[in-house]
Amino acid sequence: MKIHPRYYPAIIIAAYVIFLLIGILLGFGPKEGGEGHGRGAFLPCLCLTLEVPA
Amino acid sequence: MTATVRKKHFSLAKSRRLIQWLVVIGTFIIGLRHILPGEASRGGSFDSFCAFGGIETLLPYLFTGHTLKSTNLLNFSVLLGTLGVALVAGRAFCGWLCPLGAVQDFVTEWTRKLLGEKRHVRGRRSKIILPLRLPASLDRPLRYAKYLTLAVILVASLSMVFPPLREFCLVRAVFSLKMTSLLWFTLVVFLAGSILVERFWCKYFCPLGATLAIFNKISPVRLIMENNHCNNCGRCDIECSMDIADVPHHLDHPECVRCMECLNTCAREGSLELKIG
Ligand code: SF4
Ligand code: SF4
Repeated sequence: MKIHPRYYPAIIIAAYVIFLLIGILLGFGPKEGGEGHGRGAFLPCLCLTLEVPA
Repeated sequence: MTATVRKKHFSLAKSRRLIQWLVVIGTFIIGLRHILPGEASRGGSFDSFCAFGGIETLLPYLFTGHTLKSTNLLNFSVLLGTLGVALVAGRAFCGWLCPLGAVQDFVTEWTRKLLGEKRHVRGRRSKIILPLRLPASLDRPLRYAKYLTLAVILVASLSMVFPPLREFCLVRAVFSLKMTSLLWFTLVVFLAGSILVERFWCKYFCPLGATLAIFNKISPVRLIMENNHCNNCGRCDIECSMDIADVPHHLDHPECVRCMECLNTCAREGSLELKIG
């Protein structure tokens, strides 16, 4: 489907904002104190989760 | 089949310039915030607003659960926004939203003006000697340097405390307003490179551009050449800041930054079209 070029800037800005907000809603937001933050190692947690049923 | 002259009701180039200016001003505001005291307590350092910081800190975060120093979880959201644009429209982030891309475009424009080009006529090769086009024998291999940079940074990030590129970070050099001697050096090289070669950093060294390049092949919003209206006039080739040869036949080229200058320049209705799906 063809799109009019006039919508192109709106499409890319909307894509950026929507995905940025998804990230923030998933908990990847700015944190007080600023730097070097974590919320549990993803890979080690995943390995542990996969090991539990075994 | 006859082609008509394209009617222009809307200038993509003007809206792109406007968005680029807003991005540059916004990034300077983040840089200003960076020199105010207590920055970290207000939710993240300068580096945590960087999409590429998300890539630099991704592997350390996955393996240790902690982001590298000077980055934080916000980097992942900014990276997700950037990848979102790439999923929808390929490297449009580079063409429209990247502050470094914008600065390089401005430098090229100002260089041409300083060297005496009163008005740039779209689709007509400029008589001004700068920016140069590197010979293909140098240009081609150099284009792979950005992929190498990306690979080295990913590997290095696993054993670093700060993001690997931090000391030479171009965004810090241009926007952070907190300079070190290494950042001054980076800034001078970046400006000199951008004066000599259009989008010098994007073409040869940017690891974020390397990350986004693959999306040009899969993104649903893309340029297509339709009908047989193209008469190979070469106007789009002249305007392409990434120096892609034979633009109409390489519209999903990994080097394309989706700036839409080719579409804007094309004078024949229906030759280049924007399409979704
Ligand atoms: S290649 Fe890199 S510097 Fe150039 S516009 Fe893209 S992200 Fe920005
Ligand atoms: S091919 Fe067109 S959209 Fe892609 S970089 Fe060149 S001018 Fe911009």
